[in-house]
Amino acid sequence: MELSESLLSGVGVHMDEALATGGQVTVIGLFIVFAVLVILMIVLMLFKVFFYKAPSKASAPAAVQESAAAAVPAAAAAEPKPSVPEEDEEELIAVLTAAVAASMNTSTYNLRIKSYRRVPNTRPAWNRAGISDTIGNRF
Amino acid sequence: MNALVASGPLDAVKTIIMLAVACVLLYLAIVKKFEPLLLLPIAFGMLLTNLPMLDNSSAIMMHTEYFTDPQYLVDGQYVDVGFVCRHGGLLDLLYLGVKLGIYPPLIFLGIGCMTDFGPLIANPKSILLGAAAQFGVFFTFVGALVLSALMPSISFGVKEAASIGIIGGADGPTAIYVTKTLAPSLLSAIAVAAYSYMALIPIIQPPFMKLLTTKKMRATVMDQLRPVSKTEKILFPIVVTIVVALIVPDAVSLVGCLMLGNLMKESGVCDRLVKTAQNELMNIITIFLGVTVGATAEASTFLSAQTLGIIALGLIAFCFSTMGGLLLGDLMYVLTKGKVNPLIGSAGVSAVPMAARVSQIVGQKENPSNFLLMHAMGPNVAGVIGSAVAAGVFLSMFSGL
Repeated sequence: MELSESLLSGVGVHMDEALATGGQVTVIGLFIVFAVLVILMIVLMLFKVFFYKAPSKASAPAAVQESAAAAVPAAAAAEPKPSVPEEDEEELIAVLTAAVAASMNTSTYNLRIKSYRRVPNTRPAWNRAGISDTIGNRF
Repeated sequence: MNALVASGPLDAVKTIIMLAVACVLLYLAIVKKFEPLLLLPIAFGMLLTNLPMLDNSSAIMMHTEYFTDPQYLVDGQYVDVGFVCRHGGLLDLLYLGVKLGIYPPLIFLGIGCMTDFGPLIANPKSILLGAAAQFGVFFTFVGALVLSALMPSISFGVKEAASIGIIGGADGPTAIYVTKTLAPSLLSAIAVAAYSYMALIPIIQPPFMKLLTTKKMRATVMDQLRPVSKTEKILFPIVVTIVVALIVPDAVSLVGCLMLGNLMKESGVCDRLVKTAQNELMNIITIFLGVTVGATAEASTFLSAQTLGIIALGLIAFCFSTMGGLLLGDLMYVLTKGKVNPLIGSAGVSAVPMAARVSQIVGQKENPSNFLLMHAMGPNVAGVIGSAVAAGVFLSMFSGL
């Protein structure tokens, strides 16, 4: 890039050359930054095509994924209802077991989760606001 | 105190002011908890380098002139490492790690070990927000040149302007990496500005977030991210390194180390190395980096109109980066017909994970059952890549001049 002596040293820079060079560098720079990240975006989209298999049973995992944070206390309090846990839900079951164990003050070895289901959130709005406030304060 | 008297009253006043500045920064680090892990060593480095000493005393720990004065440089541009080793103080020796470009990439190695690129892989579109948030970097580059044209007492050339602009990347190691090459005399001012504003992100960003989004936009709930397989997480760092190397080779020492750290973590086969890189190694480097960067703050360069200019421009850089991310977020909200919450755009400035937390908190104020944190982590880690690429652009344009 050709630059005048004043732009290199910073002494006696003229407004027009400052704007011209600045504008040029901005356009080139932003173009390169976007180019690199757009290429990466395309690569990541290809990742999804090649490596991601959408869960076969669309209904069951979708309900499970809705909100792990809400599901944990709900499931801990809920009366279990039969439904077969699947292999890709192992993580959720581990979380549920740990949550139940923690609230019952016992070891996870004493528990066996046979089934779980999501219960609707019946907590009053004020309590919900209070909980999210407490969570927010921890950040 | 002899030196104070001998070198004239003006220098004595300057020394006292620098010691006061160091103490103020120590106060901010200790009491206000502004990025204390970095600001405390930086501030103490400033204190050490400005202690009153006799000229040519062997107790002087830092000689900035060895690294900037052409009289000491080989061919007027390269640091004479042998000379520094023979005559330098402790901080001179440690500063070689900054000057030779060793510390910032090693910090990136540790950051890579701690970063989860999963949210980004799950939502590739969010990577664009990390690019848009580099807008402030380039805007401030122009701003620094304009300021230099307007004020005769400030002389920022393109190299200085690039180093100041990169503050807008909100990434300390990247800013230091660019500045040590392009404008070493501004290193301490730029590092202090970058780390201080990073600590102030929860105060700087929310007003812009409210200004540039509507209530309805802020309350947008985003779809759950898809699960990301281990294969994808392992391939990601490899692909990023190759793509970045092909387009911006100057960014590879930063991005390459970031991705090496991430690959070590995601592969799961070198746990011991990961533990060292993200704990011990990173902590050691942080101490070295902080104290030596602080030690470059000598009264003659730090107490000038330029430092005030850098502090003002740094704030502008942060504001415009935030706005760049938010505006692209708004655009994505419109294009996806309300599926993207524009608040995650402001997380495109890298400052991980602070900027993502700010998105979460502002979003939750509008809609208490909304959890934006993981969605905001995507642009947030993309911002780290984006600012490293912007740094590479500046280095490839200006380092040879």
